[in-house]
Amino acid sequence: MPVDSFKYLPRSIAAYYQTLRVERADPIPWTPLSKPLNECRFALVTTAGIYVKDREAPFDAEREKREPMWGDPTYRRILRDAWQDQIGASHLHLNNRDILEDVNIVLPVHRFAELEAQGVIGSLAPTNYSFMGYQPDTNEWRERYGPEVARLMKDEAVDAVLLTPA
Amino acid sequence: MLAQKFEEAGLSTVMVTMMPYWAEKLGTPRALGVEVPFGHTLGVPGDHEMQMSIIRAALSLLEQAREPGEARDVGIEWPQPSDEARKDWQPLEPSPIIKMMRERAQAQAQQARSQDPATRGS
Repeated sequence: MPVDSFKYLPRSIAAYYQTLRVERADPIPWTPLSKPLNECRFALVTTAGIYVKDREAPFDAEREKREPMWGDPTYRRILRDAWQDQIGASHLHLNNRDILEDVNIVLPVHRFAELEAQGVIGSLAPTNYSFMGYQPDTNEWRERYGPEVARLMKDEAVDAVLLTPA
Repeated sequence: MLAQKFEEAGLSTVMVTMMPYWAEKLGTPRALGVEVPFGHTLGVPGDHEMQMSIIRAALSLLEQAREPGEARDVGIEWPQPSDEARKDWQPLEPSPIIKMMRERAQAQAQQARSQDPATRGS
């Protein structure tokens, strides 16, 4: 059976989503995978709104509380050796409990370190990235932060990216 | 959309998403659909096997996709009843936008009541 995208949404929100029109990219940008997985360097990118405590600030939830039609468009860096208890979460649209128990459900840094050790992938990059997914206006992502994170990943010789919107 | 920006910059991407509906509408380069509650893209906390099975499916898609827009699903049995899971992922306090929409709806309902001759003065 195909995945039901609306199964876990409240009915009113599911109905609203299905009325929205979006523009489909044409053509869809495409970079073919250039080498076998076991030679690729990976980076991970989530939209779960996580950050590393005492290293970077949380996402700006206070401004979103004042301006509900605004979502913090910036990003945070999650180093591959971040410990679970260093992870904070500032996403006002999710119950963050399970993420604070196991970050791998939204940013699988520890799983990818295992895949690296097993030789399934070439390597996991030193730096991974977290955005906060509530973005009524995606302009800043498109014009500024998306290209910026792409450059940072290229600087770390990344070949392939696993995206895990939350 | 982030995936598109990364592909434009010369990175190959694969996305795991609980909303393949949107992935298809937007034109996601490679999308793996998975039926999980929000905030649980790779499964249940501590469930190593479930997390790895979703990741391996994503890696296969990345390796095998030959053209942009390729999508497939991975079968996952979520351990909670869906009514329970639908509540469980949501924040304890409603998000600011939900709060604002509820307040507006209440204000409109109140205004409608006060303008309705059947209820006026009652």
